[in-house]
Amino acid sequence: MFKVLRRLASLKITLVGMVLLITGSVLIYGNPADVPMWVVVIPLSFLAINLVAAIITNKRINHQPGLLVFHVCLLGLVIVAGFGRLTHLDAHAEIPIGTEFSADRLLEVRSGVWHSGDLDRVAFIQGPFTVQYAAGLQRGLTHSHVMVKNSTGQWIEKVIGDDRVLVIEDYRFYTTHNKGFSTFLSWTPDGGQPVTGVVNMPSYPLFDYKQDNHWTPPGTQLDIKFWLQINAGLTQDQAWTLDARNSSAVLVVTNNDVRRELRVGDRIPLPGGELQFDKLTMWMGYRIFYDPTIQWMFFIAVAGVLGLGFHFWQKINLQPWMEDEPEEPLSEILPEPIRPSITQQPITQPKKDQTMPISTSSQDLAATSKGRS
Amino acid sequence: MSPGSAMVAEIPWLWAGLSAYMIATLVSMWGVSPRYAGMPIIQHKTHEYIVLGCLALGVLLLATAIGARWVRIGHGPWISLFELLMSQLCSLGLIFTLLYWRLPGFRPSAVIVLPIMWVLGSWVLTLEPTASHFPATYYNIWKWSHVGLGKLFLALLLAGVGLAGVMILRTTRLGQSWFRSMPSDQVVDRLAWRFMMLALVFDSLMLIAGAVWAQDAWGRYWAWDSLETSAFLTWLFLAIGLHVRLTYKVPHWVSGVIIIGIFCMAFATYFGAPYISPAAHKGMV
Ligand code: HEM
Repeated sequence: MFKVLRRLASLKITLVGMVLLITGSVLIYGNPADVPMWVVVIPLSFLAINLVAAIITNKRINHQPGLLVFHVCLLGLVIVAGFGRLTHLDAHAEIPIGTEFSADRLLEVRSGVWHSGDLDRVAFIQGPFTVQYAAGLQRGLTHSHVMVKNSTGQWIEKVIGDDRVLVIEDYRFYTTHNKGFSTFLSWTPDGGQPVTGVVNMPSYPLFDYKQDNHWTPPGTQLDIKFWLQINAGLTQDQAWTLDARNSSAVLVVTNNDVRRELRVGDRIPLPGGELQFDKLTMWMGYRIFYDPTIQWMFFIAVAGVLGLGFHFWQKINLQPWMEDEPEEPLSEILPEPIRPSITQQPITQPKKDQTMPISTSSQDLAATSKGRS
Repeated sequence: MSPGSAMVAEIPWLWAGLSAYMIATLVSMWGVSPRYAGMPIIQHKTHEYIVLGCLALGVLLLATAIGARWVRIGHGPWISLFELLMSQLCSLGLIFTLLYWRLPGFRPSAVIVLPIMWVLGSWVLTLEPTASHFPATYYNIWKWSHVGLGKLFLALLLAGVGLAGVMILRTTRLGQSWFRSMPSDQVVDRLAWRFMMLALVFDSLMLIAGAVWAQDAWGRYWAWDSLETSAFLTWLFLAIGLHVRLTYKVPHWVSGVIIIGIFCMAFATYFGAPYISPAAHKGMV
């Protein structure tokens, strides 16, 4: 068994594994969604087995504490990253101002098979937001106001955006470049009660030229087409701030051969009911990320580097920087307790009638040290 | 710079800094040349103080250039290739100057390191100093540690390349005479790999700081974009280099070739990857 482990621990296998990992990384580069994760998972597993074997059998790792910590942390990182992939969740959501986040708003959800977060307990209400642009439509800071419940159940306001993330129940909400206008509409069926709905238009100002969408009011066969003509004060050659409160729009409604332009508050009769343009506002596109392992990964990585630093510190201290000296044998780079130290052994003059200790001179000790290596 | 480009505030300082590096390069070449070995100034190693002075002056002038640009456009040298090169010229110069000062036996390797600085110097002079846009996600404070650690990493690799060049050139007669005053190949090799080990520590820290920044800024710590892939490959190349040296007894010149290979990968990561793909960090802003 030990023999097999020793074989598996070979540093030549490490080199093969590393070359495989390079190949995998080159393959996955740029399009992790299209390339199966196996191209890096297989080399990583291969290296992990090799590393476990080396940690168990190779004295050069397991007798040098710094190096041991570093390699164990490398292994830890691979395991924790793997666990993270199994429990993670990645998704998007488009939340209009004035509405509350709910789990059924998630789009493009990708999650690990063991994902078990408490998304239903996440509650926040989207407030107004602004996005600053420099001249030439260069996006600057985003300030998104959200109302979040604190520990006593009260709603408090937070401002998030860019690298200020909203974290609730370990779910991390990031504002994105993806945001646009929302139209709140109500549909009153002939003789029925009004129902309200929101239609989100494409991302703005990215798709400034194609702000269209369509809607089928509940209980009808209609396919109403919308085109939003926006006046948000956009200027190409000057700095500008995108803000729903400074924007207005005309909603062009088309159904068969009917075409009408609606302003906020206007209504239009259509076959089977009446449509009203209630409100113009905006939606913010969030990226939602959940991975319970990220803090662990950070701490393990830092511990690994500390181990590596310690190893180098010891190694560097054992030999001068510039003077010519033969390469030290392995016994010399091993840590103190294993290396017989000349200075630690007091050389005492043997009293008369006493037997001589086995090593009394530094030459003798050096010889012992050689013997050990 | 194209003839029509504006003479903006940082340009005179940039030229002055590069000129100081140029003088340092020429004096260090003069210092190793066997033809002038008998001159007292070379024998007493006085020329090394001229090199040291020019390097320190160059660093100061380049720092002033960066400062002048910072005042002009309102943000630090983080975004465009022009800014990145200028900033690297300053930080690589600073760390190399410190090593040059503290490790006298290592000084002749300046004749290899300084011409590499000149590659960067000539490159920056071909670029337009147009003001760059400062993206929102660059306000993050992790940027400072990420970039700072990256600078230390590259500078240590560069110092290693100087010594790698010494080991390779010493396989020729000319190289042996140029680097006659340096310690044996064995010591040079050990010092070079010391730089590589330290480079690995700073590279690992740079990757950690970068991952934290990426998580804060884009909601993912790793996404295999071109810059991340290339940075990971550089780290892996370093790991391979260290393990090859532990597994096989490689001749010193091969050891030098390995170090140069790692440096080339790092060079491509710093100055190639961010500019070849729209999906790199640049595109993520
Ligand atoms: C995955 C499988 C790996 C195995 C089996 C392995 C094995 C080893 C062994 C046995 C040593 C001690 C060699 C000696 O002292 O002679 C060592 C040293 C080292 N390893 Fe690894 N290693 C692995 C991965 C890595 C990786 C990915 C890195 C990352 C950079 C790394 C960095 C180092 C460093 C820096 C040293 C110390 C070099 C020195 O002291 O000169 N190892 N490794």
